[in-house]
Amino acid sequence: MIEPRTVGIAQIAICHAPEQLVCLGLGSCVAVILYDPGIRTGGIVHVLLPHAPAKCDREEKYADTGTRKLVKEMIGYGVKKERLVAKLVGGAQMFPGLNLAIANIGRENSMGARSVLREFNIRVVAEDLEGNRGRSAYFDSATGQVTIKTAFLPTKVI
Amino acid sequence: MTDEKTGRVIEIIREFANIGAGSAATALSYLLDVELMNDVTSCDILPMAKVSEWLGGADKVVAGTYTYLCGELKSGILVVLPEASAITLLTHLTKEKVDLSSLTEIQKSALKEVGNICLCWYLMAVSKMIDIDMIPAPPDAAVDLLGAVLDIPLASLGQRVDTVLAVHTSFKALDSHFDGYFLMLPEESTLKLILERMGESSR
Repeated sequence: MIEPRTVGIAQIAICHAPEQLVCLGLGSCVAVILYDPGIRTGGIVHVLLPHAPAKCDREEKYADTGTRKLVKEMIGYGVKKERLVAKLVGGAQMFPGLNLAIANIGRENSMGARSVLREFNIRVVAEDLEGNRGRSAYFDSATGQVTIKTAFLPTKVI
Repeated sequence: MTDEKTGRVIEIIREFANIGAGSAATALSYLLDVELMNDVTSCDILPMAKVSEWLGGADKVVAGTYTYLCGELKSGILVVLPEASAITLLTHLTKEKVDLSSLTEIQKSALKEVGNICLCWYLMAVSKMIDIDMIPAPPDAAVDLLGAVLDIPLASLGQRVDTVLAVHTSFKALDSHFDGYFLMLPEESTLKLILERMGESSR
């Protein structure tokens, strides 16, 4: 069995079956997972913030530019946009008691990703979003399945 | 920054955090009635993707209390306890059986309050040293995967920077199994201000 490759904050990774990818400890961050079942190729972008500022330093950090970049890069790998499906994981509210504007950035992150996916006509087939629990998402490019582990809840597969 | 310059900055910030952590550990040891010892403070400049790895892995379960400075100085600051230490602490304070997956209101509140006390002592010591008032927001606590706990602190810095300066001081009890660490993630403007006040021009 191959060790899954870790995708850190503001990173993009693309893999082919039977490779696996993992995002560990997603809190308010969102993992946008795209999969082309036709050629069994998948990709993840691990975004931290919802919208890129006008002067964007790093596209992978933001939900809007990051998702766009992921779609573009995957097309470079021979993926057909029409076949792509999306899964979204993360976007939790980790510190609900915090009196800061940023406390609910998780929801904005998932909305940001969702609106770009709509632009590309990519369907969101499954999601595990919001709440106030951190998640680790294990993506298997052989099946397109995402296994979600949390600190205390039972593991689930989407 | 040149390498030499970076080295000096890290040296100064480390000293700064040492004072804060020393004071926070004193408060915690009074509170728990155990003798605590601080380890060496380590300070590093890291890309965001590497911070949780630097702290021991994003999928470790921890209890983290987080607050944010919102005065002249801007910085995220956290107290992080590993799973076992959080249980020890809460059992000691509440004299109840502790299940981290479903903390009672009083346990959650205790966790927050301990974090609050530590962080305030940390800030009191450093703010005296550089003579700037520090205004922390009310803290909140979460028991979860380390990566998830760090998301909000990193997100509040992330709009402006890609790499963060992280300062980490671990502490442990001399006679029982209790440990944890303080983590400070200052914004760049704050870093400059600290360096100036500590007698190092930031140019």
